Amino acid sequence: MKLSWSRLARLSRKELRETLRDRRTILTLVMMPLLVYPLLSMALNRFLISSGGPGETGFVVGVATADESDWLQSLLNDPRSAPPQSVQDASGGNLAEFKVVVTDAIEPNEALLDNQLDVAAKVEIANNEPSAITITAFAGDQASQSARRILIERLHWLKLEDTVGILKRVVPSFTSFEINTTEIGERPSGNVLASIIPLVLVLMTITGAVYPAIDLTAGERERGTMEALMASPVPRWWLLLAKYVAVVSVALLTAVANLGAMFTTLSLTGLMPMLAGEGAGLGLKEMSLIFLLLVLFSAFFAAVLLSLTSFARSFKEAQAYLIPVMLLSLAPAMLSLMPGIGLDGALAVAPLLNIVLLAREILADNVHVFGATLAIASTVLYAVAALAIAAKLFGNDAVNRTSDASIGSLFKRPAQSTLRPTIGEAGMVIALLLPVSFVVSNALMQWVRSQEGAVDVAFQLTLNAFALIAAFGLIPWFATFLGRHRYRSTYRLERTSLGFYLGAAVMSLGAWAFAHEALVLADQWGWALLSEDQIERTRGVLDKWKTISPLVLLATMALTPAVVEELCFRGYLFSAFSSVLRPWQTIMTTAVLFGLFHVFVGSALLIERFLPTTLLGILLGWLAYRSGSVLPGMLLHFLHNGLLEMVARYHEKLSFLGADMESSRHLPPMWLAVTGTCMVLGIAIVWWTRPQDRYAR
Amino acid sequence: MLHIHALTKRFVAENEVVCAVDGLSLDVQPGEVYGLLGPNGAGKTTTLRMVLGLVVPDDGYTEVAGVRTSVDPFAAKSKLGFVSASDGVYPWLSVREMLLYFADLYGVSPDEAVERLKMLADVMDIKALLDRRAGTLSTGQRQRVTLVRGLIHDPPVMLLDEPTRGLDVVGVQTIFRYIAHLRQVGKAVVVCTHRLDEAERLCDNFGLLHRGKLRYHGTLSALREASGRQHLVEMFDDLMNPSSALNETNA
Repeated sequence: MKLSWSRLARLSRKELRETLRDRRTILTLVMMPLLVYPLLSMALNRFLISSGGPGETGFVVGVATADESDWLQSLLNDPRSAPPQSVQDASGGNLAEFKVVVTDAIEPNEALLDNQLDVAAKVEIANNEPSAITITAFAGDQASQSARRILIERLHWLKLEDTVGILKRVVPSFTSFEINTTEIGERPSGNVLASIIPLVLVLMTITGAVYPAIDLTAGERERGTMEALMASPVPRWWLLLAKYVAVVSVALLTAVANLGAMFTTLSLTGLMPMLAGEGAGLGLKEMSLIFLLLVLFSAFFAAVLLSLTSFARSFKEAQAYLIPVMLLSLAPAMLSLMPGIGLDGALAVAPLLNIVLLAREILADNVHVFGATLAIASTVLYAVAALAIAAKLFGNDAVNRTSDASIGSLFKRPAQSTLRPTIGEAGMVIALLLPVSFVVSNALMQWVRSQEGAVDVAFQLTLNAFALIAAFGLIPWFATFLGRHRYRSTYRLERTSLGFYLGAAVMSLGAWAFAHEALVLADQWGWALLSEDQIERTRGVLDKWKTISPLVLLATMALTPAVVEELCFRGYLFSAFSSVLRPWQTIMTTAVLFGLFHVFVGSALLIERFLPTTLLGILLGWLAYRSGSVLPGMLLHFLHNGLLEMVARYHEKLSFLGADMESSRHLPPMWLAVTGTCMVLGIAIVWWTRPQDRYAR
Repeated sequence: MLHIHALTKRFVAENEVVCAVDGLSLDVQPGEVYGLLGPNGAGKTTTLRMVLGLVVPDDGYTEVAGVRTSVDPFAAKSKLGFVSASDGVYPWLSVREMLLYFADLYGVSPDEAVERLKMLADVMDIKALLDRRAGTLSTGQRQRVTLVRGLIHDPPVMLLDEPTRGLDVVGVQTIFRYIAHLRQVGKAVVVCTHRLDEAERLCDNFGLLHRGKLRYHGTLSALREASGRQHLVEMFDDLMNPSSALNETNA
């Protein structure tokens, strides 16, 4: 039985139906947003009112007599009491208003205690001049403290201007220095509280997903439906996928309900400008982007929840696992509220934290493409890994109440070897590859930079090759070892017809030229995202290549990638996918993954590499499918990389062939004609060679 | 139709290896009802779980309608129907939705599933329940729905694990009718139970399982002849008692 979309839809519909009819789901889906946001907005309103800003008529200052009121009002109305323009600009350009009132019936301090005033003042008058002003603020009130601070500053500015004026009259040569202020760095848009919006939405989405995740997994055991489900002839991961779709759907519905309730409440209560800053607010664009982010987050968190609840034998046990996880997930989310933390370095691959940081960047309209792409890609991969774990745990005998098998037995090497890895294991490998390769290659770059040029290029390239082996070589190898899969069938290390090797060699004579042209075109059409600085650095690296032995270059940049990447993509992953996907789907999936992994290089996002690498991946996948082996692909990959590097190293010496590449960067038409013919000829040879029927055997 | 050969399963409990099922072999033909009998902990449920592919045997194999469970587990599972006394229902689905869901799991086309449901609803008298929420059913109604669920994909082999546990007289009668129906339509049926009196009325052949080993199997009359006892209960008493006549015969 193959899994069709219609069948998945039917299975998911049942799960969704079951969940949505349950009143506990309805409670979190409808009641929570309806209750939480009005209550939250009331609390926020109180917080904002007492958080240091003046009321609508400005700060209210209370004095005991009309005389004191006149004096204080006149001092504050004096234009010299206003700070210089640059200081005013630094604090947003607004001058705080003060309203002086006479507290007739009671003492000003009592009125202050009674919350009628922001500050109380006592103006002592001697010789018809104010001799002392005492300002009293309310100790626990932010607004009162701010009012006192600003009032003191205003009076000080006035005293200063008075003093400077007198000094200038007495000492004509006296010049007072000016105070100017400037700012550097990025000013956050709106209030810091704007960061709370994504945090609240994330938490509410979690709340929505928790109940269905428990009910659809641990609930099956508790209801006594698990055994009947496991006895049916459907792979576990199909069942889990249907449950996953249902949990993500409910999480998204909760997200939409919350987004709508939050938007409505903030708009109706007038809190929006206070939270998101003047003129900003949640526009349609921000709302859509945050919604897409919540889709990603739901996809991630639903998978994490399922992996935990699949482990539980009962509702109670599942709840016991989830509470610490939810509290733990608060930590990175709270961390994201801290200033100075951005979506770069290892934080871009830190689960959950990267999504909240990305939401913050979206709200601040300051999205960094590399960090954002890395955050999205890593989150998707984590979701895949969590799903793979869930599929292994869900319905497993060791997790069953009636079983004697221990949980530890799940993670032991199986007693019998198998031909190829499962799709779940492949998911785990892919999820590990991205963060590991990112961290390893970045750590390597940091180290090379810290040596300040002391590391020679050949050694640098050798280190790169080892990094490639460490990530793309060792992770699939370890997974193969742990799952006790046969190396030969897993890596597709099969003997095949000579025709495929010949076809691969002839194709490689043409393929490199297409890769080269695709890169040049991407650059010309503005797809390349490299900064001038990065391009300069790349040119520098290419120049350095000319100084090292071509053998080192071929070994590190052609042979190692050809062997390691082919074993990983057309070996391990190809054989894993081939057990559930049709041939063309397997070829496309491995090719797209191959393309994606070539986009993340160090700390740069080389989008222009995606198309040529994916096309090469399709060619290599097709060759691997036809030949039933990974070996001809290795030859093609090696020759393709080798030729590209040799052209880069020796292109000045190739001018005798009409290659004026320095000026146009494109290959001469003659070259294109020859390489194009090679490509067609190579494909024809592979096409006419008898295919080896080893697909998913 | 169902062929079990040298099936063995060992568990480790408190650092001691326990053989839950020890080299069990049996055959069940179409239209035959086989009673797998034994006290609690004899290995009946473990045997059924191995046949269903829920537990991997340490040794031996099972063939369902010619398909080995270890070679093509999904093909083997699709030929098995399974009903247990501990089976639950999806409380928020209607009976119809739940049964059609299981039909879908077994790859029955939607049109065919509707037809099959109509026929089985008549046989098991659940027509009036089809649009009720499964969570509101009584124990007896729930049992009938579960029995229909096991047959929705028309499997050639049916496995029943303690089907009468916790049922009243009416419920037990329903089970008897159900098994009679299964025999009539030519299914190979295995009934696991420790209710020996019921087994005598229900089954054509018997297997007496004790501590994972099949101590005796055959028809009731053959069993009587070998044991010199009239009823299964007496035979079991002998089996549990080391000095019994049956044990001596086996030795």
